[in-house]
Amino acid sequence: MSGLNLELEVFRNIFLSIADEMGIVLRRTAFSANIKERLDFSCAVYDRHAETIAMGDHMPVHLGAMPFSVAEALRSHTIDPGDIVILNDPFRGGTHLPDITSVSAVFTADDPEPAYYLATRAHHADVGGMSPGSMPLAREIYQEGLRIPPVKLFRHGEIQNETLDLILANVRTPEERRGDLAAQVASHRIGERRLLAATEKYGHGRISRQMDALKDYTERMMRVRLQGIPNGEYDFEDFLDDDGFGSPPVRIHCRLTICGDRALVDYSGSAQQQRGGVNANLSITVAATMYCFRCLIDDDAPFNAGLLRPIEVLTKPGSVLDAQPPASVAAGNVETSQRITDTLLGALQKALPEKIPAASAGTMNNLSLGGIDPLTGLPFAYYETIAGGMGARPTADGMDAVQNHMTNSLNTPVEALEHLYPLLMRRYAVRRGSGGEGKYRGGDGVIREFEFLTETDFALLSDRRQTRPYGSQRGQPGQPGQNLLNGNPLPAKGHFSAGTGDRLTIKTPGGGGFGREREMEP
Amino acid sequence: MPTPHIQVGVDTGGTFTDFLIRDGERYFARKTRSTPDDPARAIIKELADITADEIVHGSTVATNALLERKGARTAFVTTEGFEDILEIGRQNRPELYNFFAAARPSLIPRKLTFGAPERILHDGSVERELTDEAAEALARRIREAGAESVAVCLLHSYVNTAHERLLGKKLERLFVSLSHKILPEYREYERASTTVVNAYVSPLMDRYLRRLDQQLTASRLRVFQSNGGSISTRAAGHSAIHTVLSGPAGGVLGAAAVARSAGFKKIISFDMGGTSTDVSLYDNGFTYTTESKIGDFPIRVPMLDIHSVGAGGGSITYLDSAGALRVGPRSAGAHPGPVCYGEGDEITVTDANLMLGRLNPEQFLGGRMPLDIERTRRHMTSFAESVGTSPDSLAKAIIQVANSNMERAIRAISVERGYDPRDFALLSFGGAGPQHACELAARLEMKTVIVPQHAGVLSALGMLSADCVRDFSQSTLGRNVNEVFTELEARASREFAAEGHPQVHFERQVDLRYEGQSFEITVPAADRDRFHDAHRKRYGYDHSGLAVEAVTARIRAVAPRDKIDLDAPTQAETFSSVYIPPGWASRGDAVGNLILTKP
Repeated sequence: MSGLNLELEVFRNIFLSIADEMGIVLRRTAFSANIKERLDFSCAVYDRHAETIAMGDHMPVHLGAMPFSVAEALRSHTIDPGDIVILNDPFRGGTHLPDITSVSAVFTADDPEPAYYLATRAHHADVGGMSPGSMPLAREIYQEGLRIPPVKLFRHGEIQNETLDLILANVRTPEERRGDLAAQVASHRIGERRLLAATEKYGHGRISRQMDALKDYTERMMRVRLQGIPNGEYDFEDFLDDDGFGSPPVRIHCRLTICGDRALVDYSGSAQQQRGGVNANLSITVAATMYCFRCLIDDDAPFNAGLLRPIEVLTKPGSVLDAQPPASVAAGNVETSQRITDTLLGALQKALPEKIPAASAGTMNNLSLGGIDPLTGLPFAYYETIAGGMGARPTADGMDAVQNHMTNSLNTPVEALEHLYPLLMRRYAVRRGSGGEGKYRGGDGVIREFEFLTETDFALLSDRRQTRPYGSQRGQPGQPGQNLLNGNPLPAKGHFSAGTGDRLTIKTPGGGGFGREREMEP
Repeated sequence: MPTPHIQVGVDTGGTFTDFLIRDGERYFARKTRSTPDDPARAIIKELADITADEIVHGSTVATNALLERKGARTAFVTTEGFEDILEIGRQNRPELYNFFAAARPSLIPRKLTFGAPERILHDGSVERELTDEAAEALARRIREAGAESVAVCLLHSYVNTAHERLLGKKLERLFVSLSHKILPEYREYERASTTVVNAYVSPLMDRYLRRLDQQLTASRLRVFQSNGGSISTRAAGHSAIHTVLSGPAGGVLGAAAVARSAGFKKIISFDMGGTSTDVSLYDNGFTYTTESKIGDFPIRVPMLDIHSVGAGGGSITYLDSAGALRVGPRSAGAHPGPVCYGEGDEITVTDANLMLGRLNPEQFLGGRMPLDIERTRRHMTSFAESVGTSPDSLAKAIIQVANSNMERAIRAISVERGYDPRDFALLSFGGAGPQHACELAARLEMKTVIVPQHAGVLSALGMLSADCVRDFSQSTLGRNVNEVFTELEARASREFAAEGHPQVHFERQVDLRYEGQSFEITVPAADRDRFHDAHRKRYGYDHSGLAVEAVTARIRAVAPRDKIDLDAPTQAETFSSVYIPPGWASRGDAVGNLILTKP
């Protein structure tokens, strides 16, 4: 092999610690439960080509999609020192509206061109729109909330109050938004300080060379891994229950072609874009694809732009995996992304039966809610996702009650939730027996039961209420989930109103089983 | 309190048990092989010829019980409907990109989990009363299930303790840990986990300490805690949670004692052993954390803030699938050990040090274990040839990669907490530390490295220097903070008096945050006004216009002891090999420490 780079690991450590530190600052200074308790955010470092170099181990669905935000911010603006661009428009670099992404450039002393870029993405608990929590079931993006194209929140270090005021005037919990945006800005400041310190020490040339080397390195790792997969075409299809407006099941299809050290993932056989918000844009589809391939690498490979170089992703514009305006998209990021993962892993399972688990819960069980807090008289808005069962692995049962694939956000502690919102938790339990049977059992889902202490509007974006997480190698599928209000079934997706004392119960799906059941063996 | 005449610090480690004996002005160090099946044996044997007035003991009994899953048969009681909170945890998976990650382990079998028919709300009001009969019935079921120890963690018990106390009374005959006593702070999973770990390890610790106490009748035995203070054996037997991770804490305390007597007020201690490295920051006072984890279990009692990385002298070097040089996290351990020990075939950091002449092959472990440098050279040469470089460049690269891992650890406790490492000296100990200290210091632009004379028994020294300390805390959400302080101090005074410490002083601290945030910064209560400064220091900005709220009141109760005076050198000890790169000046100070500086 040529030119052994003995320093690579050293620089990898430097860049990763910068992304990590940005995350620590963002988490600890944020105001909303969604960021500080649930860790629904991500931070990343980009090189001078705006390609990803380092990302903290944050949210998989964010990380693969954030480079699109950086690219779009650069297409729309010249970013000067002290500028921070923010955006959430799914058709201009965003994913769904609650995810507000911030982008800045880092300049070294002697160069007018940016030396690096930084970005953070945080899921804000409310960005306006037709329902509190801004995760509604909508027909058009205009109903989903405030759409922010790339705009400068900071210009030469000065906050743009007109922009901020415009945003805050359109959201239900403006002070919380102000605090969370400030936390994102602080994260940029830390990242910039650390990158400049490293540059002073090692020089921009050397750092750039090592950034390039890191991308090449991850690319090599990916290619080596792809070579270990038998050449061929592998097809798989799976379905979303519906679009929330009574559509038939929504088909997600992929044809995976492995050829030597390259892969082609063709999603063009997937359904057309839908009326309800299950539409995903291209960045989400790429993020889900990237996640699946990253999981194939055993080593703790750096997750950077090199990973995708040997992989080509094909979508059909106007389809549910490459949605166009004015599609509604709230669930694309959180539901469809999970199904893309199930589908691609299903195809990979055909190529690598001993490496790929059965389907996991396949939904993030999004619950958003709000109303007027009787204690303070002020509006409240809350959002959470709920874990499910993990698909059984080829060598072990699936885990019970964990976040799967494209999310890894934490729960809000019951005691914190009850302090912050007019809610009372009645039950929080593992949903026994919901995992699919098999040689290895799928993990069990979760039961979470809320009692509303005041009149509350809530929205559900969930899936796998009809279709079930598939089993592999003759393992049984997991149980589908259920949403209940006072014991009566609710649809998977929709808006609802609850009165004081009403109880909402969410039962999340179990994972699929792997292999034939033990007792069935001869 | 007058300091007793003969004091002994005893640090039980995995391989060796270290002793530092103070007889008036004189110090003696001893070292003997540990006896893991019964750690008391090594102690009793080694102290047979000494009548110590007081022994301060750092024990690994609790830690090992936890890591080896050999704790007591423990039941868990929580509010009905929430029996699975330990299993669910924070609902996240341990590894983001690994389909094969192991499931979270559990200390409690499902059939030993019980729901109590009760509910307290966040403001402390009782929504569903736990009746005496229900508590009695529950206690009976728990006893019948054969539990030896019970952890009780009911929702919102940090505001209203009544139901937990009632259960405690009904369970009197068992070993009971009540969450509002162990950690009266909100966030049920972390409080439950802390309480369960305590319940799981305490019975073993209690038995061990009773046994040891009986055999050391002439001496007063005290137990060293992970917060850097000592407590009575009785207290330690009930709340052994405070002793997990106490081993590394001894090293940090010892490092601080050495630094103080050598005239340094700001140090970063760097303890690099065979399989792991511990770093901690001392800024004229210790730094603490309430966010520790051991194994997979969150433990939220205050501990010295020690950051551990799984990298040390035994860390193995390899080329990964894309040809990058990696060091660790796998370790060669003691067996087979580094290549130079004569058995292993995988090159380690120790081999790289040996190859570069930074480790003296004849002086390893005081010459008790000569190293096979030829063997290392052969392995290094063939590895280097396979990647097209020279053995020396390869060895240097291994050291660099290892140092970059260490650098991240030090950044985590300094830069990420708002401290500038350039203001600190690096105090290095552990078998491998002094070979790396100077280069590591240079990476962080630190100008001074201290290699203490007592490096071999630094933990035991730390234990000897420990004050009697206990930490008390209480959630203050919605309460008057001063009232809470008064209550906590009254409780601390009572408990200290019962242990024979009439003289106690209190340090009041309070966890503050901006109203609406949920991460707190702990500041001295007197400095409440300086919260904005602390926030800016740590996070780079503040919201000076926003309201600040107090979340947790903390009392540190301290019965101080005479400070250790290290002017007199101890008996001769063997240094580890110290590597001094070009450009560094070295000198010995008056008490025998080696001070290395880069002008």
